[in-house]
Amino acid sequence: MKLTRKTAVYAMIYLILAAGLAVVTLPMIYMVSTSLKPNGALYEFPPRFLPHLKEITVENYQYILQQSKFYRNFLNSILVSIITAGMAAIISSALGFCIARFRFPGRRFLFTFIIVTMIIPGTTLIVPQYELAVSLRAINQLWGLIPFYVAWVIPYSTFMIKGFVENVPRELDEAIYMDGGSILTVFFRVILPLIKPGIASVSIFNFLTAWEEFPWANTVINDDLKRTLPIAISGFFGQHQFTQWGFVFALSVLSLIPILVVFISCQKFFVTGLTTGGVKG
Amino acid sequence: MNRPIMNRKVSNGMQIAILLLPGILIFGIFTIYPIVKLFIMSFFKWDFGSIFEQTFIGWRNYADVVTDKYFQTAFANSLIYTAVTVPGQMLLGLLVALMIHSIPKCRIGFRVLYYLPVITSWVIASLVFKYIFNTEGLLNYFLTNVLRITEQNIRWLDSRWGGLAISMLLGIWKGIGWNMVVFLAALQTVPQELYEVASLDGAGSIRKFFSVTLPNIKGTVLFALVMLTIGGFNVFTSIKMITNGEPGHKTETVLTWMYYKAFSTGKFGYSAALSFIIAAALAALAALQFRVMHDKEQKPGRDGL
Repeated sequence: MKLTRKTAVYAMIYLILAAGLAVVTLPMIYMVSTSLKPNGALYEFPPRFLPHLKEITVENYQYILQQSKFYRNFLNSILVSIITAGMAAIISSALGFCIARFRFPGRRFLFTFIIVTMIIPGTTLIVPQYELAVSLRAINQLWGLIPFYVAWVIPYSTFMIKGFVENVPRELDEAIYMDGGSILTVFFRVILPLIKPGIASVSIFNFLTAWEEFPWANTVINDDLKRTLPIAISGFFGQHQFTQWGFVFALSVLSLIPILVVFISCQKFFVTGLTTGGVKG
Repeated sequence: MNRPIMNRKVSNGMQIAILLLPGILIFGIFTIYPIVKLFIMSFFKWDFGSIFEQTFIGWRNYADVVTDKYFQTAFANSLIYTAVTVPGQMLLGLLVALMIHSIPKCRIGFRVLYYLPVITSWVIASLVFKYIFNTEGLLNYFLTNVLRITEQNIRWLDSRWGGLAISMLLGIWKGIGWNMVVFLAALQTVPQELYEVASLDGAGSIRKFFSVTLPNIKGTVLFALVMLTIGGFNVFTSIKMITNGEPGHKTETVLTWMYYKAFSTGKFGYSAALSFIIAAALAALAALQFRVMHDKEQKPGRDGL
């Protein structure tokens, strides 16, 4: 009797979770379904959630894939995101290691600034950063995005990595110092190999941040060929008198594919990154 | 005996400096310098592209911001957005986490699927929502022709509340997954014995939630509250894509209004003052929270991607 009651409760929970999931994933399914409808039918009446089987078409994808600028935009996003994540990984590991292990002049000051900049929204700095970009001649330059993105993600990454370093027992450092090893030896031989999973999870987040960044890239990049994907998508959206939703969503789906690949293949690191950030113990 | 130690000390300092230098350079030039510049600009009549010298005007920009009725509307919108989306996504996220935590199978599958909206970029999510809420869109069709709640299609984007409602719904939709993962992790840290003791005392599920679960995840709740409040005031891309502040700047939030003043009217001084107010307010709020929590176990993360 008790067992059946428990089963009933479970069944209900599964049912509610599945229903919730249907609601949550509905917008994404609708996006994919719209991208597979013929472009002419997008202002159809009545609007249909799913296309008829026989009208499913890949013409929107063909249109996007025929445009040479798509490949440029895609490559731009890949380059900017990978370089941002790579630079941030090196820089924040070094910062996090030093803050966790040494008392150097200005340590407190640096750490306070890291906490404060983690709190204030990045967009609030857009005006002085724009002036800075103008004076560095970084306007409308793809490389101009990278240092700003790196600076943007450093506080969070450093904070996380400092935590990972603190979890490495100091005895391991001491052993190297006893053998006459230097600080750099400890950093490269002990710390980096041990905090690799932490660096991986931080880097995935940084990659995603750069991949989807909109306000800054939209402000400094004008040139079609220098755009990253989010700007290309929003550009598509504003381009015509009436928006060609089929094209917009085909491009959106294409730009989500790398993210999904990263997300699914790095599940483990995703959870590490989030849970170490949110709770510990 | 002394020499090697001396040598080592000097080179240790050098090594630390080498490690710190790239970070301090990038962080200093691209973040700290702009913060200082922001503060300075906020006291000047600083028009973008103007050939005239920037002139010092004291607190005038701040006075202009505070008395500007468009800013007041934007600020009210940001407050409303935060007041609705933060509890909304926390409650739903916690609910989903509790359910996933209690089931024996498919936990990872649910977690992955519920997380999908978080990794969808703001630009894409905003466009999908805009499309669904289009006057001739799917939702209106559903309301008028299937449910027959209204006679005519609702013009969501033509009113302040319609535009804000879409943005807030998007904010909640996109935030549930982050809250779910954070709360799932917190739930795993609650000692199982406490539940067993509560069971022996005859506590039911609801009683257990309020006397065992909630007190034990209090830190995480506070942490999420602060991160999400900051995130709420940070809302930009969704408003920009969905309403762009229309109609008549009635759906602007603090950051979209700041952006409009800076890049559409060139009032950099005004925007700098506005930004500084928001940044200072959020920093103060976070400081208050750190004071309140005073719990070294809790670490800040980042508003859900």
